[in-house]
Amino acid sequence: MAGYRVVVGIKWVPNTQAVRFDPKTGTLIRQGVPAIINPQDLHAIEMALRLRDAYGGEVIVITMAPPPAVQGLEHAIGMGADRAILVTDRSFAGADTLATSYVLARAINKVEREIGRVDLAVFGQETIDSSTAHIGAQVASWLGWPYIYYVKQASLSNGSLRVVRQLEDVIEEYEAKLPAVISVLAKALRPRHVSLLNKLRARTERPIITWTNKDLGLDTRCVGLKGSPTIVAKVTYLPEVPRLKKVHKAENPREAARWLLKNLLSDEKTRDLIARALWGEGSA
Amino acid sequence: MPRVKCEDLCPEWPCEQPEEFKNVWVYGEIEPGRGIREPSLQMLTPARKIAEKLEGKVVGLLIGHQVTAYADDFIKYGADEVLVVDDERLKEYYPDVYGHVIVQLSLKYKPEVILLAATMRGRELGPYVANTLRAGITADCTDFDVDEKTRDVLLIRPPFAAIMLAYIRTPFRRPQIGTARPNVFPLPPRDESRRGEVILEKVDIPKPRTRLLKRIRIEKREVPIEKAEVIVSGGKGLGSPEGFKLLQRLADMLGGVIAGSRKAVDAGWIPPERQVGQTGRSVKPILYIAVGISGAAQHMIGVREAGRIVAINTDPDAPIVRQADYSIIGDYREIVPAIIEELEELKRKGPKAIEELLK
Ligand SMILES: Cc1cc2nc3c(=O)[nH]c(=O)nc-3n(C[C@H](O)[C@H](O)[C@H](O)COP(=O)(O)OP(=O)(O)OC[C@H]3O[C@@H](n4cnc5c(N)ncnc54)[C@H](O)[C@@H]3O)c2cc1C
Ligand SMILES: Nc1ncnc2c1ncn2[C@@H]1O[C@H](COP(=O)(O)O)[C@@H](O)[C@H]1O
Repeated sequence: MAGYRVVVGIKWVPNTQAVRFDPKTGTLIRQGVPAIINPQDLHAIEMALRLRDAYGGEVIVITMAPPPAVQGLEHAIGMGADRAILVTDRSFAGADTLATSYVLARAINKVEREIGRVDLAVFGQETIDSSTAHIGAQVASWLGWPYIYYVKQASLSNGSLRVVRQLEDVIEEYEAKLPAVISVLAKALRPRHVSLLNKLRARTERPIITWTNKDLGLDTRCVGLKGSPTIVAKVTYLPEVPRLKKVHKAENPREAARWLLKNLLSDEKTRDLIARALWGEGSA
Repeated sequence: MPRVKCEDLCPEWPCEQPEEFKNVWVYGEIEPGRGIREPSLQMLTPARKIAEKLEGKVVGLLIGHQVTAYADDFIKYGADEVLVVDDERLKEYYPDVYGHVIVQLSLKYKPEVILLAATMRGRELGPYVANTLRAGITADCTDFDVDEKTRDVLLIRPPFAAIMLAYIRTPFRRPQIGTARPNVFPLPPRDESRRGEVILEKVDIPKPRTRLLKRIRIEKREVPIEKAEVIVSGGKGLGSPEGFKLLQRLADMLGGVIAGSRKAVDAGWIPPERQVGQTGRSVKPILYIAVGISGAAQHMIGVREAGRIVAINTDPDAPIVRQADYSIIGDYREIVPAIIEELEELKRKGPKAIEELLK
């Protein structure tokens, strides 16, 4: 194969935006919550597709997840990815980020053995359901590859990678030897839509393969719950913060404004603050 | 009987007993030429709480070139000891290079806990260190506790939906590693009289496999929203970026800053570093004025520690109304200008106007 082989890790997540809180029962309503590709991962796919379009090669999208996540892989194929791999096994359930990254790294090794050299692994900045931003760095650690997070531009040449990345206080340019791992800065790109033609290809050519642990042959002590150093000991609801809950229906804006200022100026928590803002230090 | 049975562990992990580990480490992220970044110093606050319960020491970790001088700051802010690796080859920060330095120190000293600030660099460095040690890591903790019987640290974080808290523990692996976002914990008071030991360490330094070619600073002159006493925050309900101009006028009158909800950030009306909430910043102003914000759990978790919350919303059933101290039900386009006018009038009349108003 000429060009570069790029693997993209994606996660199929519940659309947490759609999760609602039931104030009567004090619980979450998860029923009927649709799943989506983790939004940041669309940017990772887009970055990989742009590299392939510019330099040739192929994009392989990979996810470790229960079977329904195949819908996410179909979406990625629809965007233009060349193939996809669903890594799935009962024994992978309950994995924390370390156990997840272990399976993903070993799956990438299998791609190298059976499909060919991998030049770059691309991840999203973080997921919306756990938002840890762990996986990319952990996969880099398992593979022993250099890694660069928060990439917003990338180019390839002669076995090396050049990127621009952005942090809170700096924009930096780096060069790295391939193979390497990157994560893509949130909202760095404009992910392309699914095309009908590609979607059709997903249906007819079935470029999606499934690997279970029969294929990977990993020690069951290293995967899923058993391979996870962290465990969730318990989950509780956050206690509600007591608030005054005074409500004013505004008939007349000026009167509503006066109601608010009256309250804030007779409230010991805010009185001095407002006085200081209006008349300066010492006026309170 | 040993707590960790080696035959039950993944063979990729080293088999060690928790009792072999002690002390709480805090990684000190360096601002080149300036010192330890404040978010790292803030981590001394939970580190002290954990160390007291575990009866261990708080140890600061300094890695870089010409960083030994900063050890004193670590101690004055609360570290008992500082471990320093000061080497010319560490002049540039590369996460895998710095990561390997921390890994080697950890293999030698066996810390029970390592804390990092969840700055963008901390979020990239932490998981590499944890994974290379085959240890667990918990991101974005909002609190820590200790189970004194097992000495397990409970790493507490909001999962999934922001209204819940997950208590995470790492029973069979040490060190226990956690990160927390900037300003979740306060900076401990600086104590000039504190003394502590500074240990200079030498370790193998791997060659970097990435090379920095260029760095441009993004200068920020504005007050970060985490430090503001008054925040006027806007949401999707503003309807347009112009709405923020109005909010800015109100903020100026009150000596505050503007911020926004995620939807306002997604719409491009306000920059991401001004987003309040679970995936934005946690703020603790004395006064938080939420304008056109519905009050989703993921937003409200960022203002739990606000002194007073004011909501301005057209919808009396918006969730924020149940979570605010003072709510005005009305269109912000009328209410906010009215508040500004009232404030201007008060300002003109002077402090004695308060009595008149309160009559
Ligand atoms: C994993 C995850 C993390 C998230 N993290 C964050 C986060 O960090 N921060 C965050 O803010 N959100 C976050 N969200 C999104 C959050 O769930 C909400 O979608 C978001 O906070 C809603 O923003 P909003 O209140 O501006 O918009 P909306 O919910 O659309 O509310 C707009 C409000 O404006 C009111 N309004 C309309 N017109 C007017 C008017 N003329 N005058 C006055 N009021 C008016 C409406 O009544 C409504 O209440 C997260 C979501 C997920 C799933
Ligand atoms: N189960 C998974 N399978 C493949 N990739 C994943 C998986 N979980 C997370 N990722 C990738 O890792 C990134 C960071 O995820 P997280 O560490 O969960 O915030 C995501 O944006 C994905 O690109």
